[in-house]
Parts: sequence; C-alpha cells; structure tokens
Amino acid sequence: MKRILGVALGILTAIGGFVDIGDLVTNAVVGSRFGLSLVWVVAVGVVGICLFANMSGRVAAASGRATFEVIRERLGPRAGLANLSASFLINLMTVTAEIGGVALALQLASSVHYLLWIPVAAVAVWLVIWRVKFSIMENVTGLLGLTLIVFAVALFLLKPDWGVLAGQALAPAVPAEETAPTYWYYAIALFGAAMTPYEVFFFSSGAVEEGWTVKDLVQSRINVLVGFPLGGLLSVAIAGCAAVVLLPAGISVTSLSQVILPVAEGAGKLGLAFVLVGVVAATFGAALETTLSSGYTLAQFFGWSWGKFRRPVQAARFHLSMIICLLVGIGVLATGVDPVLVTEYSVVFSAIALPLTYLPILIVSNDPQYMGKHVNGRAVNVLALAYLVVILVASVAAIPLMIVTGAGA
Amino acid sequence: MILGDLLGLPVLDSDGGRLGKAADIRFVLDGAPHQLMSDARMLGIVVSPHSAASFLGYERTNLTQPWPLAHLLRWRHRGSFLVLWEDIALIRKDAVKLRPGFTRYSPALEDLGRGR
Amino acid sequence: MTSPELVPLLPVQGRILDAQLHLLDRQVLDHDGVPVTTVDDLELSGPALGEEIPQGTPAPVLDALLTGPVLGTRIFGGRPPSSRLIRIHWKDVADVGVVVRLGVGGEGLDASWVERWVRDKIIARIPGGRHDPR
Repeated sequence: MKRILGVALGILTAIGGFVDIGDLVTNAVVGSRFGLSLVWVVAVGVVGICLFANMSGRVAAASGRATFEVIRERLGPRAGLANLSASFLINLMTVTAEIGGVALALQLASSVHYLLWIPVAAVAVWLVIWRVKFSIMENVTGLLGLTLIVFAVALFLLKPDWGVLAGQALAPAVPAEETAPTYWYYAIALFGAAMTPYEVFFFSSGAVEEGWTVKDLVQSRINVLVGFPLGGLLSVAIAGCAAVVLLPAGISVTSLSQVILPVAEGAGKLGLAFVLVGVVAATFGAALETTLSSGYTLAQFFGWSWGKFRRPVQAARFHLSMIICLLVGIGVLATGVDPVLVTEYSVVFSAIALPLTYLPILIVSNDPQYMGKHVNGRAVNVLALAYLVVILVASVAAIPLMIVTGAGA
Repeated sequence: MILGDLLGLPVLDSDGGRLGKAADIRFVLDGAPHQLMSDARMLGIVVSPHSAASFLGYERTNLTQPWPLAHLLRWRHRGSFLVLWEDIALIRKDAVKLRPGFTRYSPALEDLGRGR
Repeated sequence: MTSPELVPLLPVQGRILDAQLHLLDRQVLDHDGVPVTTVDDLELSGPALGEEIPQGTPAPVLDALLTGPVLGTRIFGGRPPSSRLIRIHWKDVADVGVVVRLGVGGEGLDASWVERWVRDKIIARIPGGRHDPR
C-alpha cells in the first residue's frame, strides 16, 4: 500500500512539476497563433524528455553520479566548460523567468504590482532551498501544480468544436496568416520548453539527493513514463484553451493574464482561483528547480560539495552560488524587462544547448564502468540516437530561424 | 612535470617522423606499496595517429554501444598504439621523441591483469 | 579492434589506469564521502622537460592530483607556476573507481580552502546555516 502511494505521489509530482513558465507561455502563444497544429511537437518533446530523464536517472542510481559530473568527465574540461557556460546562462535566464512568473501570477491574484512581488518571491525561493527538506519541497509544489488541470477542465467547459481541434492536431498545417519559418521557430521553442536541460540536471541530482539505488529504478521509470506524458497533456490543454478562445478573437499572447484568460471564460471565478494557485505553484516549483540546477551544474563541474541533503555549511559554495543567482535574477527583473519575453528567449536558447547535455548521458549510460549491467538496451539506443539527430537539427536551426522571423514576431 | 604538458604533444620517431599525438598516459599500480595504494608507475603513452581527443577510449575497450557512435569514435582512433616508457628518448615542450626500434604495443585495456 | 601488427602487451602485475580514461576530471571524495574537488591535472615525478632520458631510467610515478588554477590553464593554455599548484598527494588516495576516494578527511586539505573560506565567512553567518535539513 505504501508502495502504491509512493508511486501515485511520484506520478502526481511529475505531472505538476512538468509545466513551468516556459510551457505555460509558449503553449499559450502557440495555441493563440497556430491552434493545435503544433501539438505533435509537444508529443515529440515529451517522448524525448521521458527517454533522457529516465536515462539520467538510471545513471544516477547505478553510479551515484549526477549528469554534470558525467558531462565534465566525458567531454573533458574544454567542451565541459563550454557546456557549463551555455547551460548556466540559460538556467539563469530560466530562474529569472520563473521568479518573474511567480510575481506576475501574484500580481494577478492581488493586484499589487509584480515588481514588488519579485523580492518576496526570490526570498521565498531561497528560504525553501535553505531550510526545507528535498522531498517535501518536491511533493508540495508538484501537488499544488496539479491544479493546472483546470486548463483541461476549462477546455471541456468551453465546449469547443472537437472535430476542428482534432483536425488541427492530426493534420498539422501552417495557418494561412503565419509563415513557415515562424511555424518552425515556434516548433523549436515548444521542443526546447518540453526538453529544457535543467529538467535532467534536476532529475539526476534529485536522484542523488534522495539516495536512489537501482532498486528505485522501477518507481522512477513509472514516475517519468506516466507523469511526464500527463504533464504533456496539460501543456496541450493550455494550447487548446488558447486555440479555442484567443485564436478566433485574434489575441496573441504577450502577458500572463492572456494565458489564463480562457480559464476565466470557461471555468469562471473558481477556475480562475485554481489556475492562479496552479501557476504560482508551477512557477515557484520551477524556480526552485532551476535555482537548484544552477547550483548543481556549477558544483558538479568544479567538484564542490553539493546537495540539499547536507547542511548548508557542508555545501558552502553550492549555497553561495544559488544566492548569487537569485540576486542576479532580481537584478535583471528590477530593470523592468518583461518576464514573458525572457521566457520566450530562454526556451529557444534551451533548444540550442540540448545536444551538449544529452550526448554525454547517452555515452555514459552505455558504459559498464558506470552502469554495471544496467546499460542501455538496443531499442533505447536507437531511439536516443534518432532524438540526438532531431535535437541537433533543432539546435542548428534555432538561431537562423530566430533572425529570419525576428524572434517569431 | 604535469600531465597537461604531455597530453596532446606530437609523438615523433627517432628520425623526427610524425607518428601521432599523445592521446593518453597509461599507469600501472605496481610501484612501492603505501598504506592505501601502490605507487602508480608510468607504463607508457597511448599514441593516436589521427586525433588527440581520446577521452572516450572506445579504441581501448570492447564497447560497441551506442551504435554507430562507438564505431565512429573507434574509427577516428584507428591505428592507435601504446609505446612503453622504456622506448621514450626525450620529452620536449613541443614533442615526444621515441628511441630507435621502439615497439608498437596494443592499446587494448581488456585481458590485462586487473589484479589489485 | 587493433591492427594485427601490434604486439600484445604482456600481462602486468597491478591495476592499469589510463589518465584520461580513469583519472582526469573525476570527482574526488574524502574519506567521509564528501566531495573535495575534481582531478584537474596530475603531477609526475619526472622526467625533466627537454632532457634526454638515459636508457634504464626508472619510470616516473604519479606524485599528486592537482587542482585549482591549473584547471584554467588546462582549458585556456599556459601553465601556473609550481607554487600555485594545489596538490593532493597520491599517498592519500585510497581508491580509484568511478570516483577517486581519499583516505583522509577533506577538512585539512589545501584543495578545500575556498570552501572553508566561503563557509566560515559567509554561509555559517547566515541564520540556519548549520540546520540539518533531514
């Protein structure tokens, strides 16, 4: 019974933890402009993140090594540092975006200006990282994030023409008023949002934090393989809501209030309350994950002591680096830069950094020196290599498409 | 000296002909025993004719996964060999020079005594 | 895997370690399993650069694992002066596996001075810094 509860909890947190500000904004933007014609990208991204998160979890459980230690070991210091710089900057951007997301959601709930909420949000993030036990942190934010299911509920209540939606999803085509480069630019953004590297940094480091062994592999596999796809469905629901309400009205999403507008329309005040809780929880949870990931990547590259399972004094540089990241995030947001814009850029830059993260995981998960008998099976390898090709194409195409489309404008 | 000085240096035969680059340095734990581990004696240099970026070591193990990555990397290091310390004549800032009549040993790691 | 003209190496007594493959960039843990640093480079007992090695010279041995500024020079080129090298002596190494384990505590090592400084000057002064999260 306890075991079933554990599995259920793991799945629920995986669902709630899947969606972050990047998914919220990108899916709503895409839904409001392209309908459901990019849903296939979410599906591709979800399968990819399942594949590689599962792999990085297996590496962590079998060898006790988190992803960035492995990256440095296998790529060497030069390529490792290049990867660290890229991943860390993107992570910092994502931290900034998530804290901005928390503040924006709190503004919607309280009508106090979001700039005033930013220091509050950042301090709250720090306090949780400083004090709260890892498993409690993960479960509480994950479970509260589940309230985002209200997007799916709202979609039903909006009584859309399901045939039209299914048509958009199953026979994808570039809408008449959009161009092909813009379509592909947003495809890459969605892909980047679903497969953001911080998810594997966090996932593998979390496995070390919670002391996983190979015995925990089955449970982790269930969490990932059930939780992430259901999280992906939430993403689709967000896009669906936007496609039903915003697309016909000609509203393109530029703010968080527009992201949740369809919920208010479909599910009323109660729905609005739920979605606000969900957005705060999801962005707050992701702010925790990205802040921790910043610390994890730095500490693992340089070999510092790290982990929330240690007292802060036993992982001093790890904690200091996270404090600095949060301060930088506050500083960037204090300039008045639009958090939604930061989010949109961060998901595209994520797509660019993907190959450097996922290649070393694939290599190490085949190495018996680390994995013993838990090396990848042949099917996993074939699939992973196919994904690496996709990842590589997306990464190479991202910048040119960004320039050609003026960042999707 | 430090290993960073040595890795990646061109390896030359006694006539100055270029054989490849120092891709790795092999040690064997058979030196004077200490409390914890024996001294690690330098056994030789793994020379790769085509590339010095050898950290994945596919040419020295039987790993064949993930296909075709493993095969590609092994191919990059085709012709790798090990030269023993006894065959090294000189290590300069810019090159390693071998003695005349040095022996090319197999760089394979398998089937070697792993007794600790 | 290897060309036929290569001579197979006679079995040696003792474990084989390839620097790139088994040592460099590995995580170093102290005897309590606390991370200390990574292996940024290695120091050998010889030979002197640019000097002929006479026949029969005993092979050099690994003196120390190196860390600190040497990581920067390994990435960007150049070489720190010998006095700036932070050493962990080979005799303190207990085991080399997926990680390098030391037989000594990390607290007294030169390699951990930055960690100690950050801890004593900053982290320990923030309330709750010594709180055990478990």
